[in-house]
Amino acid sequence: MNFLSGYIYYIGAFGLVLIGLFIILLKSNLVKVIIGINILDTGVNLFLISVGYLDRGTAPIFAPGVQIEASSMVDPVPQALVLTAIVIGASVLALALSLTIKLYGHYGTLNLEDIRGQRW
Amino acid sequence: MVNPAFLLAVPLGLAFIVPLLKFLAPKIPKFIPPLALLFNVVVSALLIPEASEEPVVSSIGGFSPPFAINLVAGPVGVLLSAFIALIGLLVAIYSFDYIREGAEEKYYALLLLFLTGATGVALTGDIFNLFVFFEILCISSYSLVAYLGDRSGVEASVKYLIQGTVGSSFLLLGIGLLYGQFGTLNMADIASRIEATGSTSIFIPLVLMITGLGVEGAIFPLNAWLPDAHSSAPSSISAVLSGVAIGIGIYGVARVVFTVFGAEPVFQLLAIIGLLTVLVGELSAFSQDDIKRLLAYSSIGQMGLIVFGLGIATPAGVTGGLFQLLSHGLAKALLFLTVGYMIYRSGSMKISGLRGMSKVTPVASFGFAIGAFSLVGLPPFMGFPSKLMVIRAALAKEELLFLVLVAFVLLGTVIEGSYFLRIVQVLYFKNRESDSKGGYHLLPLSGLIPICLLIVLLVIIGVYPGLISNFLSSAASELLDRTGYITAVMG
Repeated sequence: MNFLSGYIYYIGAFGLVLIGLFIILLKSNLVKVIIGINILDTGVNLFLISVGYLDRGTAPIFAPGVQIEASSMVDPVPQALVLTAIVIGASVLALALSLTIKLYGHYGTLNLEDIRGQRW
Repeated sequence: MVNPAFLLAVPLGLAFIVPLLKFLAPKIPKFIPPLALLFNVVVSALLIPEASEEPVVSSIGGFSPPFAINLVAGPVGVLLSAFIALIGLLVAIYSFDYIREGAEEKYYALLLLFLTGATGVALTGDIFNLFVFFEILCISSYSLVAYLGDRSGVEASVKYLIQGTVGSSFLLLGIGLLYGQFGTLNMADIASRIEATGSTSIFIPLVLMITGLGVEGAIFPLNAWLPDAHSSAPSSISAVLSGVAIGIGIYGVARVVFTVFGAEPVFQLLAIIGLLTVLVGELSAFSQDDIKRLLAYSSIGQMGLIVFGLGIATPAGVTGGLFQLLSHGLAKALLFLTVGYMIYRSGSMKISGLRGMSKVTPVASFGFAIGAFSLVGLPPFMGFPSKLMVIRAALAKEELLFLVLVAFVLLGTVIEGSYFLRIVQVLYFKNRESDSKGGYHLLPLSGLIPICLLIVLLVIIGVYPGLISNFLSSAASELLDRTGYITAVMG
C-alpha cells in the first residue's frame, strides 16, 4: 500500500465527498441530510488544502534576514480559498438548521418522506 | 472612466447598512434599495459605450492580472448588470406596498445582497470569485424563499438549500481541480493554458462546474427545486428569482463552457439538454392548475430555449440566446408582479379562481396578457424577435440534428401558447361568479409604475429590436471570442 501514501489526502477527500453524497441521497431525516452536506463540504475543503500542501513546507512569509527557498513554501492561495469556503459552509449550515427548526414547527416531523406538501 | 467595482461595492455596502437604518426610522429601509439600484442602472449605462469598444478590466488591489481578483466589464457583463439592476429596481419599487408582513428591513437587505451576488457573477473574471458571488446569490435566495415563514415557503427553501448546496460543492470541487492543474484562478489565464492539456484531465472539472452552475440555471435534470421555490416565494421574489437568478446560472454555464474551457464538443450536448428542458418544462406547465407553479414550469421551458440558443454556438445563436434571456426576464418579471396582485386580490392561486379578474384588476390583467403574449412570441412584443433569432440561427446551421431540434422547440412553443392563451381567456372572457369583495380595484402607485414600465419596454423593444441588437451581438462575440477575451484581460 506504499504507493498510495502520496495520494492519501486525495483519497481521504474524495472518500469524504462520496460519504457526504451517500448520506444526502439515502437518508430521509433532515438533520442527517444536513450532516451529510457538512461532510461533503469538509471533503471539498480537504481536497483544496491538499492541492497546495507540501510535506514539511514552511509558511509563505518573506522576512529580512531569513533565507527560505520559494519552492519549499506552502501555496497560500488554497488556504485562502478554504477559509472562504469554511465561512460560506458555516453560514449555510446555520441557515439550514434554522430552517429545520421552522420546518419542524410546521410539520412536527423531520422525516423528508413525510414532508411532501408540494409535488411535481 | 467609471470603475466597475462600484457596481458591487455600493449595493453590498448599503445592504449591510439597511438593517441599521431601521433604528433611525422604520420607514427608511425601503427607500435604500431603489437608490442603490438606480445608481447601478446609471453606472452600467455609462459603461456601455466604453465596454462595447473593449472590456473594462478592473483589478482589485492594484495587482495586474493574473495575480489579483479582477472584474471584467465586457459587453456581456455590462449588459447583464444593467439588466439585473433594472429588474431589481422595478421589484424594489413594487415591494413598497406589496411587502407588508415580516421584518421588512431584512427583506430589503437580502434583496440587495441577492442582486449584488448576481451582478458579481456577471462581472467577475476569476473563477473562485465567481463561486463566492454565486454563493451570495444562492444563500440570499434560500432565505428570501422562506421569507414569509409559511409551510410551503419553508419546505421549498429547505429543498432548494439542499440541492443548491450540493451544486455549489461540485462547483468548488471543479474549481479546486482547475487550480490544481493550472495554478491560477484567473479565467483568462486558465483559458490561455487549457489548450495545452489533454481533454481527459479537463473533462471532470468541466462536468463538475456545469453541474454546479446548472443547478441554479435549472437545466433539465437539475431543476427539481425550481417549481416549489418559485411558487412559494412572495411574488416579488419570484419575479427576481425567475427573471434574474436562473438567467445568471445559465450565464455562468455559458461563460465556463465558452470562455474558460472553449469546449466545442459540449455545445451539441448543451443544445440537446436545452431541448429536453424546453419539453419537460412546457409539458409540466401545461398540466398545472396553480398559476405560480405554471409560471415556474414555464421558466424551465424558457431556460431550455436560452440554453438551446447558446448551444448553437454561432454568433447569431448566442445573440439570440442572450436576447431570449433578456426578453424572458422582463416578461416573467411582469407576469409574476401582475400575478402577485391578482392573487392578493382574489385570494386564490388556482387558475379557476382568477375568472374574470380583468374586471377587478384591469391593469394587472392587461399586464399579464402582454407578458404572456411576449413569452409565447407573438409580435409586436419582445419575445417575437428573440425567439425568431434563435430559430433562424438554428436553421442557418443547416444540420439535420438542429432541424429536428427546431421542430421540437416549435412544438414546445405551441404548448406554451395553448396554456397561456387559456389563462388569458379565463381572465378576460369568463365571468366572476361571486365576488364578495366586489368592485374595482386600483393598483397602488408602487405597483403601477413597474408594471407599466415593463409593458412599455416589452413593446418598444419588440417593435424596434435594433435598439439593443447591436450591443447584443457584440456581447455574443465577446462570449465566443476566447483569444480576444484573453488579450483584453492579460494585456
